This record gives sequence, C-alpha cells and structure tokens, in this order.
Amino acid sequence: MSKNTTINRRTCLKGVGAALALPLLDAMGWAEASESKTFKPPVRLGFMYMPHGVIMDQFWPKDAESFLTSPPPALDSLRPVLDQCLMMKGIAGVSNGPFRGAPHALELSTWLTAALPNPDKRDEINISISADQVAANALGAFTPLPSLELATMPQTWKENQAGLNEAYYSHCSFRSPTQAVPAEINPRNVLNRLFREKGKDAGQTPTGMSPLDRSMLDLVLGGARDLRRSLSPTDQRKLDEYLDSVRSVERRIAAIEMRQKDAALEKAGVRSSRRHDSDSPPIEIKIPEGDKRSEYMQVMCDLNVLAFQTDTTRVCSYIGSTPNGASYPELGFSDKHHSTTHHNNQAEKVNKVAAITKFNIDQFAYMVNKMANLREGDGTLLDNCIMMWGSGLEDGDRHTRANLPFILAGRGGGSIKTGRFLPNVKGNQGDLLTTLLTCAGVPVDRPIGIATKQIREISTTS
Amino acid sequence: MQSTEVCVLRIVFAVIGLMSLSSSTCLAQPKNDDTFATQKADAEKFFRTRVTPFIKTYCLECHQNRRPTEAGLSFTPALDTPGHAAFSEKWKKAAARVKAHDMPPDGLDQPTADERQMFIEWLDRVKYLSPKDPGPFVIRRLTKTEYGNTLHDLFDVDPQVAASLPDEVSGAGYLNSLSPIQLEQYLEISEAVLNQVVAPNNSLPTKLQQQLFGKTPASNADYQTAARKVVQSLAKKIYRRPASGTEVDTLLGVFDLAQQNNLSYTDSLRLMLKAMIVSPQFLFITPADEVKTENKIVPLDDYQLASRLSYLLWATMPDDELMSLADAGKLHEPPVLKKQVQRMLADSRSRALFDGFGAQWLGLGNLKSKTFDPDKFPQMTDDMRTAMYDEVRLYFEGIVRENQSITNFIDSDYTYLNEDLAVIYGLNQSLTGPEMRKVKLSDRNRGGILGMPGVLASTSFPNRTSPVIRGVWVLEQVLGEQVPSAPPDVPALAKQDQQSVAKLTLRERTELHRSDAVCANCHRLLDPIGFGLENFDAIGRWRERDENGHPIDASGELPDGSRFSSPQELKTMIGGRLDDFSRNLVEKLLAYALCRKLEGYDEIVVDQLMQEIAQDQYRMQTLVIAVVTSYPFTHRRIE
Repeated sequence: MSKNTTINRRTCLKGVGAALALPLLDAMGWAEASESKTFKPPVRLGFMYMPHGVIMDQFWPKDAESFLTSPPPALDSLRPVLDQCLMMKGIAGVSNGPFRGAPHALELSTWLTAALPNPDKRDEINISISADQVAANALGAFTPLPSLELATMPQTWKENQAGLNEAYYSHCSFRSPTQAVPAEINPRNVLNRLFREKGKDAGQTPTGMSPLDRSMLDLVLGGARDLRRSLSPTDQRKLDEYLDSVRSVERRIAAIEMRQKDAALEKAGVRSSRRHDSDSPPIEIKIPEGDKRSEYMQVMCDLNVLAFQTDTTRVCSYIGSTPNGASYPELGFSDKHHSTTHHNNQAEKVNKVAAITKFNIDQFAYMVNKMANLREGDGTLLDNCIMMWGSGLEDGDRHTRANLPFILAGRGGGSIKTGRFLPNVKGNQGDLLTTLLTCAGVPVDRPIGIATKQIREISTTS
Repeated sequence: MQSTEVCVLRIVFAVIGLMSLSSSTCLAQPKNDDTFATQKADAEKFFRTRVTPFIKTYCLECHQNRRPTEAGLSFTPALDTPGHAAFSEKWKKAAARVKAHDMPPDGLDQPTADERQMFIEWLDRVKYLSPKDPGPFVIRRLTKTEYGNTLHDLFDVDPQVAASLPDEVSGAGYLNSLSPIQLEQYLEISEAVLNQVVAPNNSLPTKLQQQLFGKTPASNADYQTAARKVVQSLAKKIYRRPASGTEVDTLLGVFDLAQQNNLSYTDSLRLMLKAMIVSPQFLFITPADEVKTENKIVPLDDYQLASRLSYLLWATMPDDELMSLADAGKLHEPPVLKKQVQRMLADSRSRALFDGFGAQWLGLGNLKSKTFDPDKFPQMTDDMRTAMYDEVRLYFEGIVRENQSITNFIDSDYTYLNEDLAVIYGLNQSLTGPEMRKVKLSDRNRGGILGMPGVLASTSFPNRTSPVIRGVWVLEQVLGEQVPSAPPDVPALAKQDQQSVAKLTLRERTELHRSDAVCANCHRLLDPIGFGLENFDAIGRWRERDENGHPIDASGELPDGSRFSSPQELKTMIGGRLDDFSRNLVEKLLAYALCRKLEGYDEIVVDQLMQEIAQDQYRMQTLVIAVVTSYPFTHRRIE
C-alpha cells in the first residue's frame, strides 16, 4: 500500500448513508481530567469458572466471624487478599426445569445467563444474552476490545444431554440469544489480539487494517445492507450477525485510534488524562514452554490482568476448564475432574475433588494477588475490579446448586464492601449478576435471567 | 471409574424398550392428493376419538397449560393443533415413555395394554396432519472446512489458510454464529490469500492473476469498462451466482475508491477482490433471486441448489459443470440432478461426505483427540488413530462409490487395513507398510462397522470398555432409537461393599445397575448389546478374557426374547432390522443435508425416500439421490 492513501473516514461514511453508528469518541470513558477533578479509573469485571462444584465443608467458611482469621482450607491462597474478598452463601442457581438429565450442559451455560436454554429450540443455541456480554455492550465502546473470552480447553465437546446443543457444554458467554462467543485458548493468540505487533507500517492500524481497507469495508457493509433488503425475514436475521460483527470491528478501530491519539499527545508532553505517574508499568507475559496445567492457567490469568491493567478491555470471562473434565497430573493423580466428583462420599475421591478445587482457587488467587500488587490511581488495580470465581454446581456428586459456590474479589471501585462472609443471603444467580453489573456501572435495563432484585448486602450503601 | 459409569447411566437412564417403536412399517406413500386427504382425515378422526380421550384421562391432569409446566410438557396446545411441527418431537418422547410404562407414573390410573398400543400407533399417523412444507433454508455461513476448500478451489491456496478460524460446534446441522474476532480473521486470511495470488507492484503478474484480472488496459480511460467486465466474471465465481446490478455497482465503488487513492489498476482490482471475499455473498450461501412475498414456498433457484448440493457432497463450491447447468436452468430437473450426484460421488472430493457426515454419524469425530490411558494402550499413536479413522472412511467411501447396499455397513467380509491396524486385528504377518489396503476377512465377528476398532475405541473409556456407551451407540447411531433424557431424581446406586464390588467382573458390576427396578427398564435393553461386543477391548482387539483373567461372557437376550452369544450373532440380529437401520440412515442424512432437525411433514418425506431406496436394494447412491431430489432439499419456505 502506498503511503498517500488516507481518505477521510467520515466522508466515506457519509457515502453509505452514515448508517454506521460510531461511538461517541469524546465520551469514551476515562473522563477527561480537569485540574480540579482527580480522575477515577473505570471498574472492570472478570469471571473465572471451574466446573463440577466443590466439597462443601471445605469451601464454605464456618461463620462470618472466623472468615478472616481462620478461613476454610480451600481459600488458603487467598489469605493475603481476604480482606478484599466477599463471600455469600444462599445464592441459588437456576433450576434445571425440563433439562434434568443435563446437569453439565446447564452448569456452564446458565452460569452467566441465569437462564435456561429455550426447550423448544434445544438443539440450537437459544438462551439469554450473558451478563458479561451485557457489560461488554455497555463498556465495550470505551476499549479496543469489547470483551475478552478465555479458556484452556477446546470448545468442541460431542455429547448430547437432553437433546441440548453441544455448545452448551463449553460456552458461558452469549452475545445474543443465538450466538455463543468462542473463547480463545491459545495464549499467543490472545497476546496478538491484545497488542498486535503488525501494523507498524505507516498506513496500518494495530488491527492490521489499512485505512483503505476500512473504507472498503464500509462499502461492503453498504452492499450487505442492499442484500439484506432482498432477503426473507429469517435470512435477514442471519445476516444481521454479519452486520453486527462489522460494526463491532469498526468500533474497535475507532477506540484504538483514540488511544493512539492519546499516546501521541502524551509523547508530545501533553499530560495524559488516563494514567498516573505512580501507576505500575504493564506486567510482562511469559508464555510457558511445557504443558503444566498451572502454568497454562496462570498465563491466561496474566493476560486477563494485562488486558485490565492497560484498559484494553473491561470485561473478561475465563473458563478455567469445561465440564468435559480436565485432569490434574500435577496433583499426583490422573483422574478426570468429572469422575472424581461422583465421589459418593468415598474419602479418596473427596480428597481429590478438594485438591482440584483448591488448585483452581489457587490460580484465581494468583490472579487477584497480582492485581492487588499493581498500583493504579490512588489504590490498586484490584480496587477497581470485580473478579468472580465460581462454579455452576455446588455439589458435583449430586448435581445440586442451592447455594452456588463463588468468591468475589475486588472492591469494584468502592461499590462492594469486602472482607466479609455473609452466611445467609437470600437471592438467586440472576440477582447476583444483576447486582454485579450495577456495581460495575453497567446500566441494566432488564434483569439478568431469573433475577427479581438486587443483592443489597453487597454494597457499602445498603 | 464406577462413578463415571453411574453418570453415564444417568444420562441414558430412561432408554426404554423402544426396540420396535420406530420399526413399524412405513405406511404407504400418498400416491396423490386424494390419498393424502383421506389419510389426513383418518388421522384427525383417530386423534379426536381415541388419542384425545387418552390424554384427557391419563396425561392432562399434570401436563397442562400452567406454570411451571410439568417436565416442560403441556398437552393443552396439542389438543387443538396436534400436527404442529413444534410438537412432533414431544409426541415421540411421550410415546416412548408410555411404551416403557414410565408414564403415567406409578400410583396413578394406568392405561390398558391396548390403550398403550393405540397411543404408540398414533406416532405413525400424526405426520399426516402436517401441511406440506419443505422447511426454511436459512442462508448459512460456510463452515471453516468449506471456507478453506472454497478458497482453495478459487485461488489454489492451501485450505489450511483457514486454520486460524475457531472450530465449529455442530448441533443439528450447523451452529454458525459469527463473532467480531472471526470477521477480523476473515480479513487477515483474505490478505494472506491475495498476497499469494497477486504479485507485488512492479513484478511480473502471477499466472492466476492474469487469469483473474486479464490484461491492464493501455489507457486510463478504459479502466472502468475493463474493471466492470472483471467484476462480472469474478463475482459470479466468488458469489456462486450472477451478481445483481447493485452488487456490481458496490464492487465498482471499491474499485473507484482505490483509484481515487492513486492505486494502480492491478491494486485496485486487488482491493475489489478482497471486498468480494469478505462480503456476505461469499461467506454465506445466498439465493440469486429476490424473494417474492406472495409465495410462501418456492423452489430453490438453480444456483442455490448447485451450492447446496456441492457443499453437501464436496464441502466446496460448485464446479464449472454445475454452474453451467445452473446457467441453463436445468440443474433442478431430477434426471439431471441424479446424474450430477453420481458424477460428484465418483469424484475424490466426495470424501467430504464422510468427513462431514459419516464420521459424525458413526461417532468418530473425537477419535483423533480422545484420551487413552498411555500405559494400557501405548498403541494409540497418532498414526494408529489415523489408520482407524481411515478404515471406517475407506469402507464408507467404498459403499458410496461402488453403490453397494447399505446392509454392507452392518456386515461384510472385507475391510481396509495397514500394518498398524492389522496388529489390532491380530493379522500381524500378512501386511506391511503404512498404506491402507482392501483385505478379505475370514473372521465373521469382524466385517462391518460394529467390529471396527475406530468405532469400538470411540465408544470406550480411556482405560476400559463401556458396555453402556456401546449399547447406546448401537441404539442411537445404528438403529436410530429415541433415547429420552433421564427421569427426575435418579437415585444413586445403593452404596455397595467396595471390596465385594472390586472382585466382580465388569459384566457383573454393570449388571448391578439392573438389580434396581428403576434402572432395569432401560438396562435390560442397553447392556446386552454392549455385552455382545465385550470380546472387543477398548481399542478393538479380540480377547477371550478380561484384564483380570475372567472369561468374557458375550451372550445376551433382548427384550423381544431373541438371544445371541457372540458379536457375530449380535450383528446378524441387527442386520435383521434393516428397516430401522435404513430409516435411521435416511433420517440422519436428510437432516444433515437440510442442516436442521426433521419434524412434521419430513416424516412423510422419509416414508417416500424409504420406498425409493427399498425398490433399489437399499443402494447407497440411490439413497443420496433420493435425499438430493427430495422436496425439502429442492424447496424452501419463506417466512
């Protein structure tokens, strides 16, 4: 591409009827700092998943009083940040309804949707949009990536419980009722996606696209709209997926451009509104060579931390493993996760489940400890995050979820009162997710899944 | 491992004595509208006078229109519109449960045996209430494989150029959601492709580039006219149909954009080409004709039919012959379609039918990545897995290309082996080298899919066989039984004395499941089939004794009283259910071809296809042709 190919983007947009909604660039978060007003970092929202439930008496704290002083064994690695954690017992999961034969298809797919798949279209994807994607829709315009989806296992699982679509086994994020969001399992791809090295050439943006490509895409989008008009309504809905994707790419480019402008100003000595001098520098990512599960899970944690630290995205879901069952040779046994959870109270298996649970919480602790040690604004990165670790089942042996096991870490920019265990909260999974979105500043125009209320106890301003 | 077994049991728990449920002979295909009308009237009467009272007496009290709906099932809407497509699946499940005496629950009024039989017979009649309907054919995006193959056919690039796209998860047909990441990947891939196709500025054009772009006009003034010609020929190839006037204008707009930015003629065409391969017209299979709203059902236009056919059999774009038949408006004519199917199946590209359909049908999709205990089965190397997969593939392709009867899937006296696989078969000395060859078999326990290591390994646990999984596999994949989901609150197996359990054989342990009356219903059907294959270990080797030295007992009895004592005899029994097997294959292939599950009127279509293939000795090509020329494959409903 020759260098003088820049064309005025807005002119071009006019050409296609300006139908492309550009985000309001000036209102894209990180509020401009005036001399009088200190800037406030945005709240980020992260979710990390473990399937198959926990050993209850090793997970739940004994009581509110002993939470900080003698937490249960599973939480050992969280001790340094326990005062920045919140646990609540009494949040009920979605009931299985007509899908009683499908506990594992539901545990992950209901986790962030708090809703059941549509039973009449069970072999398709047809479920509510998930909480992380609701957040991404609201916060995504402010960052280069609307959201980040991570996993450590391929999302192809061939099993069919109760006739449910196979994708329900391996996906927790749903962009729309009919679209599961694929997660990235290769750390190198994530790194490239976060900080693309391409596009160092003059005419290219960090997405690898030249301005001319973008103008071309605008024309293609116009053509797609023409095509849409000639299609039947069902076909139109299908094509909308394409139109949505193009728009989202456009939005991402716009956000990146704003970042670059910002960086250029900073370089030129104009004070940036976004960073404090005292902020920690971005963490370093080392991609592990071997195949140790702990290292694999940790590099994904690092990527989550880095994405939040650099405000590349504000929403992340991380499927630590899918219900088809990872194994944990590092723990000294090769059993699949799932088979150990049907322990029937045999001590040996119970111990294995406890070890796997602790292992998973250790990785979460690794991530939040790291966040707690990164300075940001007047506090730490963790202060401005809401990190939730959890499982979609409570007791994997009996497939129950009357009290979903989960841990919240981070104060959510002051919206969450931490250092507590609330042993007797009344609410459901939808209530919890709705509350977390509210804490993250996401306008929630309708409740998430089965929600009927907010969990007031979460907040300092109850 | 026992608890894993328990869970699998839970999944398949409610498999019930369905052995003959779907085997009822297909009622005669309506010869004309009159017959159809009569059958419809009969079905309506049957429903009113017999089914309705049954439902009102035995079902409606629990399963009616109120919230929460009992088990998600309400008969209230079905009483008004029993033929509604949305209910067809529910009728099947309801009949299965009633047949198994699973419903109505114990303690409530029970129907007589005749009444139960009547309710089951209803399944054969309900289809006549469905209006003639081909179903929708929603525009669909090319799968990762199709996309790679199509780029290969267009630009002679390695199909692996698409490798970075995320893998697709398939349900009934395709789940194809498109994420922004993917769109960025499409852009990147298109750039990579074009870098191979179009030479950089000031260097000699590639051969393909010359073919695609033609000569650069001598004068700038002719650029527009020349570009328009290029657009029209390229767009037809890439969009797999002639481009509309608007589409041509859009693409010329891209050309103009490049020109305004002082790009050379070639680079302008390059940008235009890029626009084409990131356009929805390329990424999706789209109709050539604009919808005319007055018709609710339309035949596929010939271009759309060409794509549908080509992606079904080849997983790639239509070739020149298909396109010229579409140009001539002849492709939809049944004799033409038939000839094309035969031609396409003979072509090596039809391997796609196995990779896309056959492997999924036979459950081999995960074989290459499936975990096996490396200590117990060091043989399961990548090469071995490939050989196992290829054995089934070559066998499938042989049946397709040689137009054999589909009964050969169940039983034959040959297979395809290489040196690795021959060891699994215990034929060590006879074969050397990695290439697969057709081999005659004398062992009657082998021959046919039931004795193939790829299948046997796919239906095992990492460290041992699972009679339960194998039983379910035979029921679902081979015989097409409905396996309903587990009933609520399946009790865990009673705690057993661990020591005494440890001493039992796998068979004895599995039989414990059947000592519980609730479990017995399905396990008396499931387990015997799996036990019948117990002579094959978890990677398909023949054995007389299990790993603890106990002799294998491969005998069993099915609920209908038939007995068998070896894989060979089990095979013979399954072979005797040709009606079920062929119907299952027709249904699975039709659903795959239509990219959706079958419902309502489709049952009548399947009846018709069954007749067609039975008249031709159940030949495989006849089956494929019947599917491709069927009403729902050649038509679509516009909603």
